[in-house]
Amino acid sequence: MIRLALPKGRNLDAALVAFRAAGIGLDGLNGAGRSLRTRLPEEGIEVLSLKDWDLPLYVTHGIADCGIVGSDVLEEVDGDLLVPLRLLQGRSRLSFIGREGAMPAPGTQVRLATKYPNTARRIVAGRAWGAEIVKLSGSIELAPILRLAELALDIVQTGRTLAENHLVEIETVAEVSACLVVNRASYQRHRALLNDWIGRLEAAGVVS
Amino acid sequence: MRISAALPTGVAALLFESARRRRAAEERLVARLGEAGYAEVILPILDYLEPYEALLTQATRGELYRFVDRDGELLALRADFTPMLARLLAPRLASLELPLRLFYRGDVIRFQEERAGRAREFYQVGAELLGLAGGAAEREVLRLFLELATAVGGGSLQVVLGFAGALDHLLLGAETDDPARLAAAVARRERGEVRRACPRLLGVVENGVPDRPEDLGPEAEGRLLDLYALADELSAAFPGVRLSIDLAEFAMSSLDLRLVAGEGERPYYDGLVFHAYAGPAALPVGGGGRYDRLFHSLGAEVPAVGFAISLERLLETRT
Repeated sequence: MIRLALPKGRNLDAALVAFRAAGIGLDGLNGAGRSLRTRLPEEGIEVLSLKDWDLPLYVTHGIADCGIVGSDVLEEVDGDLLVPLRLLQGRSRLSFIGREGAMPAPGTQVRLATKYPNTARRIVAGRAWGAEIVKLSGSIELAPILRLAELALDIVQTGRTLAENHLVEIETVAEVSACLVVNRASYQRHRALLNDWIGRLEAAGVVS
Repeated sequence: MRISAALPTGVAALLFESARRRRAAEERLVARLGEAGYAEVILPILDYLEPYEALLTQATRGELYRFVDRDGELLALRADFTPMLARLLAPRLASLELPLRLFYRGDVIRFQEERAGRAREFYQVGAELLGLAGGAAEREVLRLFLELATAVGGGSLQVVLGFAGALDHLLLGAETDDPARLAAAVARRERGEVRRACPRLLGVVENGVPDRPEDLGPEAEGRLLDLYALADELSAAFPGVRLSIDLAEFAMSSLDLRLVAGEGERPYYDGLVFHAYAGPAALPVGGGGRYDRLFHSLGAEVPAVGFAISLERLLETRT
């Protein structure tokens, strides 16, 4: 039995589409509703349903053998995980957003609102301007609208929310994709099965 | 005034049963080490920083707790027993009878970013075998490690074997300006990046060893064959232990300066390297390897192999 952690939210769809295309049977999940833990005995898989931010922790500790998680979260929490694949489905961008013309001039100091303070600190360290980083847990777009911060660093998928709120994507700093992550020791234990999955995902053309 | 019971991040107090359990396990390990002819050394918790300056990488430097002593000397808390023991022994080696079999126990203190399950103080029991060259020393040390880890751990011990520099030939020959970054991608098994830079490394990423061993270059190919023989022998002697050879796991253990050691990897290994995981959650419980070049960098020529066991982690696997 291998334990697969799947995220809630937007990366779940990306994961399910990719696994279906690769013929890895997770159809048993359809009837599972809101169950947090679903056994698929025929496939030899147990699926855990976790929040994005908790998922790397479960895999790092080997509670889950592997999982699907966004590279945005992975970069931020920085666990010691294997990252064999990045899925094509559900890609987005990590971008600076703000009002028109909000890009700070060299030598200025701004406030930057984000869910990703570690990533933000690394990025800002390479800039000609400085930022006080304000960690928020959601509705990041509100920060520049209400002037809590001049800039925000957040995920942009279609840009529709931005347009509706008269904000612009000032600069893309990273491409974000859902990644297959694997615990180091689990990789040794389940190498044959994981390599089979990886091969099928690659053959299905759903990975970059 | 009320005093809070909270401790600083990354340290813990063991009370009552947990203290008793750790001492009992420690005594068993120490008794076995004594029987095997290893003598105890007791090392100080802090030392001057200066003797270690040349041995530090960016990653291991970042782990150190450094401070200025009241007389102005720069000191560091013990973050690793092996270099401390090496720097104390290197000047004395000429007057010592080899081989030397030594063991130690105690805390190491390493700064780590705050993450669940990442302690900053660990209790280690470890052993070093100095002055015995070649496969015999590696065999003795690995056997001893397996014996101790299975005696105290909760079973399902998994040991991954490799050797430093195994992939250097492939990494430096790859289509990339940044072979160190490629080494990191191999260690994380990032197939996309590895396929673009060096398709011949894909077999290593997938199966731990290359499809054609000769791709490693003649010297590393020979070492890989020796490692297979050692793994077979140990598998037969320890049927309950899962042994595997995986060169990707040690992609960042390199012999070349262009491929600097990565975070967490002890940078001095130059031969056999191994990591051990145990328990249902497969926690990292120890590791070791050959580190002749550590002594070389301290001006002494002596073959050296050793290991360390993280005792608290290993005990966690028992519950």
